[in-house]
Amino acid sequence: MKLPPALRRPAAVIGLTLLALQIVMIVFAPAISPYSPVDADPVASLQPPSAAHWFGTDITGMDVFSRVVYATRINLLISVVSVAGAFVIGVPLGLLIGYYRGAASSFAMRLFDFIQAFPIFVLGMALVAVMGQEIWNVAIVLAILFIPIFARLIRAEVLSLRERPFVAAARCSGASDRHIMFRHLLPNALLPAMVQVSISIGMAILLTAGLSFIGAGVRMPTPEWGLMVSTGAQQMILGVWWVSLFPGLAIVVAVLCFALLGDVMRDLLDPTRRPAPARAKRQPANTGQTP
Amino acid sequence: MMRETAGTPVLRIDGLTLVAETAEGERVLLDGLDLRLMPNEILGIVGETGAGKSLLARAMIDLLPSGVRRDRGEVLIEGRVLSQMTPAERRALRGGVVSLIGTNAKALLDPVERVGAQLVRVLRSHKRLPRHAAWAQAVQLLADVGIVNPEERAKAYPHELSGGMAQRVVIAMALIAEPKIVLADDATLGLDATVSVQVLDMLVERSRRMGCSVVLITHDLGIVAHYCNRVAVMRGGRIEEMAPTADFIAAPREPYSRALLDAAKARPVPSVRGVGAAGAPLLAIENLVKIFPGSRPGEQVRAVDGVSFTVRRGETLALVGESGSGKTTIGQCLVRLLQATSGRILFDGEDVTHWPENRFRTLRRQIQMVFQEPYVALNPRWRVRQLVDEPLAMLETLSAAERLKRVHEVLALVDLSTRTAELFPHELTAGEQKRVGIARALATRPDFVIFDEPTTALDIRVRAQIIDLVRDLQNRMQLSALFITHDLNSVRSLAHDVAVMNRGRIVEAGAMDEVFARPKDPYTRKLLSAELAIEQAAPPLGDRMQGVLP
Repeated sequence: MKLPPALRRPAAVIGLTLLALQIVMIVFAPAISPYSPVDADPVASLQPPSAAHWFGTDITGMDVFSRVVYATRINLLISVVSVAGAFVIGVPLGLLIGYYRGAASSFAMRLFDFIQAFPIFVLGMALVAVMGQEIWNVAIVLAILFIPIFARLIRAEVLSLRERPFVAAARCSGASDRHIMFRHLLPNALLPAMVQVSISIGMAILLTAGLSFIGAGVRMPTPEWGLMVSTGAQQMILGVWWVSLFPGLAIVVAVLCFALLGDVMRDLLDPTRRPAPARAKRQPANTGQTP
Repeated sequence: MMRETAGTPVLRIDGLTLVAETAEGERVLLDGLDLRLMPNEILGIVGETGAGKSLLARAMIDLLPSGVRRDRGEVLIEGRVLSQMTPAERRALRGGVVSLIGTNAKALLDPVERVGAQLVRVLRSHKRLPRHAAWAQAVQLLADVGIVNPEERAKAYPHELSGGMAQRVVIAMALIAEPKIVLADDATLGLDATVSVQVLDMLVERSRRMGCSVVLITHDLGIVAHYCNRVAVMRGGRIEEMAPTADFIAAPREPYSRALLDAAKARPVPSVRGVGAAGAPLLAIENLVKIFPGSRPGEQVRAVDGVSFTVRRGETLALVGESGSGKTTIGQCLVRLLQATSGRILFDGEDVTHWPENRFRTLRRQIQMVFQEPYVALNPRWRVRQLVDEPLAMLETLSAAERLKRVHEVLALVDLSTRTAELFPHELTAGEQKRVGIARALATRPDFVIFDEPTTALDIRVRAQIIDLVRDLQNRMQLSALFITHDLNSVRSLAHDVAVMNRGRIVEAGAMDEVFARPKDPYTRKLLSAELAIEQAAPPLGDRMQGVLP
């Protein structure tokens, strides 16, 4: 079987390879990691990378390599859950406020302004302070932050799509508002949101790490990349670079992976980018009369 | 019209072959093309989409699109070989010796700079001139291209100009460095007929006075017949036929040129009226008014201003007028895309003007609309089968199998193969897209169909096919139709009656042949005079110029 051209490009190959690497780490974490990710060994504290500890150990003597591998589970879980939640709520919301423009839709937009204008980390700290330092709370915080992104994207698309002649044509065919929204507008508006999913997962990984770094995220000894960077940062000045560097690299790899996959997603989902049958040729759009 | 074209050509193309590099290998776009353009000559290049007309123009001005390569052949301008010139010489050539006027002038002008300043910039890149002298020359040129009040207009931004005025500015820009060759690539596409004629008259007259050669690239044989000394018919990257215009119109040599010419001519009048011609009207509009809020608060735009007409069963009424005359608004009121401000719409004797939406839905089966743009009126993510099925699924109570059968029936009715049903709109040609639009409107077997600009933006032969298709449907289905258009030539082929609209009002109405033969209203006469029909002899240029130029 031949892969579609969108999957054969270098960016796609790198993105998919990195994704496969992370999936392997998630599934086979117990087999890959030589030590338990949460067992402290005070005797082996702050050892540099060696054959026994590939990425060295941190101040409590926990194996950094094992923790980096296990953290993939937590970090991707938080990111995927938060982005999925934001997508499921944000997309229909954006569709509604784009289609029915009124006081309620203006109110929703101002609410989004408020959420997006609020400093992310202050909001994160406040919510986690109220709800507790659980990984689910981190996911909820991120979902709240991402809902406006998806809703705005969809709304912007719907605002322009609803004026397109094919919507008028559907109305002449007797289509109801709901039919127009879900069968005509949504499939056409979804593309940028799908691309945004991938980018948001990358952002979520970064934000989770950031929240943990400032102490508003998950708690020790849960293996989480941001938290590990944060604990390592205290010893960085003493020349102990390995505790922070390796989880930091893991963050870079994960974010890069999802950024690359965003582009792949766009190429795969747009039917007008699919290779058309040989005879078909795209006609130039009408440049003629305005009605 | 003919003029002596002796002497050495200003532009010569010898065996030019252009190829595009694609994933599947090289594709030949222009195939060993030869062309000579004489001084003072106006050469028309006609052809359908994909013939390579625009590419030829790009080759003449040395602006090949990326991915296109010159394989063989040369372009010589004033005897100099283009491919041997230095980059600096080529730059001086573009705009200085050869200039290009494109379609859609508003998009060609920089939206954030005053038009005068844009003219000055072009002028000063070709001539050393102090800024104020360049400005004075720009204003003079705007006056020359027929812009009223040029000092004021030079300070305008492009969005403050009308389409016709913007096209004049672009022409002024093309002429400002006094080029030897002017290429007009569908320069008046999308302008109203009366404006288009004014702009073309002006362009031809100016270039005559300046002594430059003009290449008019168009898909409108009427333009060729009225303005060009010679015509080249292009097809598939080759020139099929090249002849003096008068000879070409009288007797084209090649079968393809003959087919084009036949397609462009009006069909005989559909004189046979429908069976119900004597009965009560199927559709009656009484004193319809539609008011839109204007751009300023409190301002009102009366888009439709007290319009009345009737259409009987089996008859076709054409609403003609230029853009902004309100004809499309009427169509949208009829299918309830817009709610009329006042007046009455009677369908089959019943006043449906204020029917609530759920009751009006039952009427949608009987009144359908074919939308103007073939591609954008089709949801790009739906297959043809789903698109044609939509009105059936929404408005009829049929099983899925019955609906599929009906879809195939309707596709056959508009001469599309069953295979088309599984394609996406972007995989179809413009003509096929248009047919899908018509099939969709006919799916519920409506009594009344509104065709909004059914012939715009189509190639000559495709346009003729659509006209023949609609004529056929009129005969076979006893279709009653409202035909909204600015294309008078198609009205001749399709309509029994005609109503001429101007600024929201009907200025003249009656039987089509009667109105077209003996127009009473001055606006109707103006519209008809702007029609460049190939059957008619070209009126002397000077006469018409005096009539239209302010």
